[in-house]
Amino acid sequence: MTNRRVVITGMGTVNPLGHDVESTWSALLAGRSGLSRTELFDASTFPSTFSAQVKGFDLAKWLPRADRHRCAGRQCRFALAAAVQAWREAHLAGFADLDPARLGIYLGSGEGSLDFENFTSLLVDAWRGGKLDTTVWAELAFKRMDLYREVEQESNMVVAHLAAEFGVRGPAFNVLTACAASTQAIGEAAMQVRRGDVDVVLSGGAHSMIHPYGVTGFNRLTALSTRNDEIPTASRPFDMTRDGFVLGEGASILILEDYELARRRGADILAEIVGYGASADAFRITDQDPDGAGAAGAMRAALADADMKPSEIDYISAHGTATKQNDQVETRAVKSVFGERAYKVPVSSVKSMIGHLIAAAGATELITCVLAIRDQVLPPTMNLRVPDGDCDLDYVPNAARKATVDACMSNSFGFGGQNNTLIIRRYR
Amino acid sequence: MAERRVVITGLGVVSPAGVGAEALWQALMAGRSCTRTISLFDAGKFPCRVGGQLEEGFSARKYVPRDYRKAVKVMARDIEIAVAAADLAVRDAGLVTAGTGDGEPTVPPGRLGCNIGAGLICSDLDELGSAVNSAVTDGHFDIHKWGSSGMNNLTPLWLLKYLPNMLACHVTIIHQAKGPSNTITCGDASGHLTVGEAARLIARGDADVVIAGGAESKLNPMGLLRQSLLKRLCTSRNDSPARACRPFDSSADGTVIGEGAGLLILEALEHARARGAKIYADIAGFGAACNPAGIDVLAPNNGGLDLAVSKALADAGISAKDVGAIITHGTAVPGEDRCEAAAWQTVLGDAAAKAPAAAITGAIGSLFAAAGGVELAVAAMALHTAALPPTVNFQEPADGCDLNLSAQARPVRARYVVSGAFGTGGQSAACVLKRNEP
Repeated sequence: MTNRRVVITGMGTVNPLGHDVESTWSALLAGRSGLSRTELFDASTFPSTFSAQVKGFDLAKWLPRADRHRCAGRQCRFALAAAVQAWREAHLAGFADLDPARLGIYLGSGEGSLDFENFTSLLVDAWRGGKLDTTVWAELAFKRMDLYREVEQESNMVVAHLAAEFGVRGPAFNVLTACAASTQAIGEAAMQVRRGDVDVVLSGGAHSMIHPYGVTGFNRLTALSTRNDEIPTASRPFDMTRDGFVLGEGASILILEDYELARRRGADILAEIVGYGASADAFRITDQDPDGAGAAGAMRAALADADMKPSEIDYISAHGTATKQNDQVETRAVKSVFGERAYKVPVSSVKSMIGHLIAAAGATELITCVLAIRDQVLPPTMNLRVPDGDCDLDYVPNAARKATVDACMSNSFGFGGQNNTLIIRRYR
Repeated sequence: MAERRVVITGLGVVSPAGVGAEALWQALMAGRSCTRTISLFDAGKFPCRVGGQLEEGFSARKYVPRDYRKAVKVMARDIEIAVAAADLAVRDAGLVTAGTGDGEPTVPPGRLGCNIGAGLICSDLDELGSAVNSAVTDGHFDIHKWGSSGMNNLTPLWLLKYLPNMLACHVTIIHQAKGPSNTITCGDASGHLTVGEAARLIARGDADVVIAGGAESKLNPMGLLRQSLLKRLCTSRNDSPARACRPFDSSADGTVIGEGAGLLILEALEHARARGAKIYADIAGFGAACNPAGIDVLAPNNGGLDLAVSKALADAGISAKDVGAIITHGTAVPGEDRCEAAAWQTVLGDAAAKAPAAAITGAIGSLFAAAGGVELAVAAMALHTAALPPTVNFQEPADGCDLNLSAQARPVRARYVVSGAFGTGGQSAACVLKRNEP
């Protein structure tokens, strides 16, 4: 059995800077910030009062007849719009020879948003003597809670909506490995195409944790930036003054396809996925391995998978969350894999502009890698003003940069020590 | 490049029948039902009060190395169950890891992977409620108070109790598994999907050994509420809980929620042979599919199980007549059982009514993300012991469910056993296990 080549033939995204690929890309190259005061709920007294929200989004723009998705939650609506964009770009709508049984879905989407108001009021109204009275709770819950609001919280429901929209009958996966989920999804999806299990996969991720308990969870972990007075510039990857990540939301979907099929049907090939690597830190649930061994392991595995040397990588899209720890550990890991070359390969973090899309982060960042190859330009790391001695690589500070880009590496690391790396290359 | 063969060398099961694969096997072979009145919380006002609940006092503490026990307090119940099952699986396979202690690890950390299916983990409502009720003004939740002080009543690590990947993360930390680690969250299909993906990981050479399967507990008010809203639960047998879950039976009227974990040790055949490991079965084939109609969560569907099974058979290079036994998913929701039986009939034809089949839900309830791993553990034991357990609570086949089920245990001399699962949302997956032949 020979391994098949895997190419990207379509892309779509909904994120804090844009509701499609091109507007997102121009905003990123212009160094714009997608951060603002949180409006999805009243966060005025939270330690972090701001986030990177998707604004003014309307699914009807992409799906005029979205009746069957009327119950879809926020992340799911983002994913549907992103998938429609990708599907159109890949020109799959008119392609009659696509066997639905060989069309798959592999997503890293998050849990859907909680029915916050009802869920929380029930905790208050059924509270008796310092604990929840589950008999009172049940009586009230059956009156107040809605089937669809509840079911849509299961993280496989985005897969269900996409399957319905595109008539998918092949393998359908959702993985939820925290902040690494969509990179892992794309990597595993590529393995399925490579092996011949599927011909085309809708892959990527979706997530929205900008709700009171999501922000509470990250605030309690002290993982979020609290720079409430300097919101637009609060996300500062690799900067000495960085104080945490900024919670974002959105979805990005890519069409992965067997190269031979793409060529046969005359599809535009945007890039080729040539390497995937995964590892676990197996260190602590709260912290990354300070040596960066796990992160380096994923990068090395991806290079080995691609049969490439570090010298062949032209750009690294960093996980670059702007937490003290991540940026230091990632820098260390890049150095251990790239050696002296580490100082020559540009590394940037678009999270400085769009925040951290959690499960959807990796797929969104991979799209920027494809565009970097297309346009021969690197997106900047914005808000990088004060150098940190531990972060001494070329982070493409504060302005986009023209460059020769043939091969890109994209890193994603998740809570609990999930490490995933993808390598894409210009199609030739 | 030839793919490597993959075998099952260890089983770790936590189920309502007790801790360990053997406890489950004995209960199943004896036809004993382990579903009972829920006592984890007062379910008196829920329409279904029956559950496949673990034995009282279950805790992961005993399965966690002494120096990691502190971490048990940041483990949701789903995580505790997974951690216990992983310990059982690793020991059953005769592996030495950082978790078992006793010498050098059998597998280099970078070659040991992990893939654990998980569900939506419910926060502890007493814990969250206690913080929420510190932020109340005039009888209503006050978000300003919550932001400024209420949230501080939650432990800083609160969020990490509930991330689905924490099942695998704790397991990787305890056993020092530094290879690829994934968490598949596809409802009932999760267990088969993780085992299939883990087998591929080994086949292509990215790991030598993988801990794979799933764990979940929906036995909490939110889980019970959601399954009730989906109208999937048996509400007519609260007075005879052991008889509530009746897969493929004409008097079935819904499932009951069970909890547990089924984790398998998958291993490259040559690796297992080199260390003289006991081999339960080979992973001979895997297939997955979905049904676009799965979006309609109230209409029963099998998630394209027929397609998943036919892909798994093709992957194993066998045809319908080679199928020696079937471990069904058998949720006991009448519409779902009918859809499932139709799937087996579609893909196996006449063989569907001939091959001996069994459902384990009558004994333990529906285990959701844990179901597939437990079903595959049972399939492996069926091959290994040449016996098929009875289907508890099955008396008379429901209309349209023409499968060869039995209320008695039966000897089976099967070479291939097929197991498949599907869940709410419309995803399915199937695995073909093969008797290991030296």
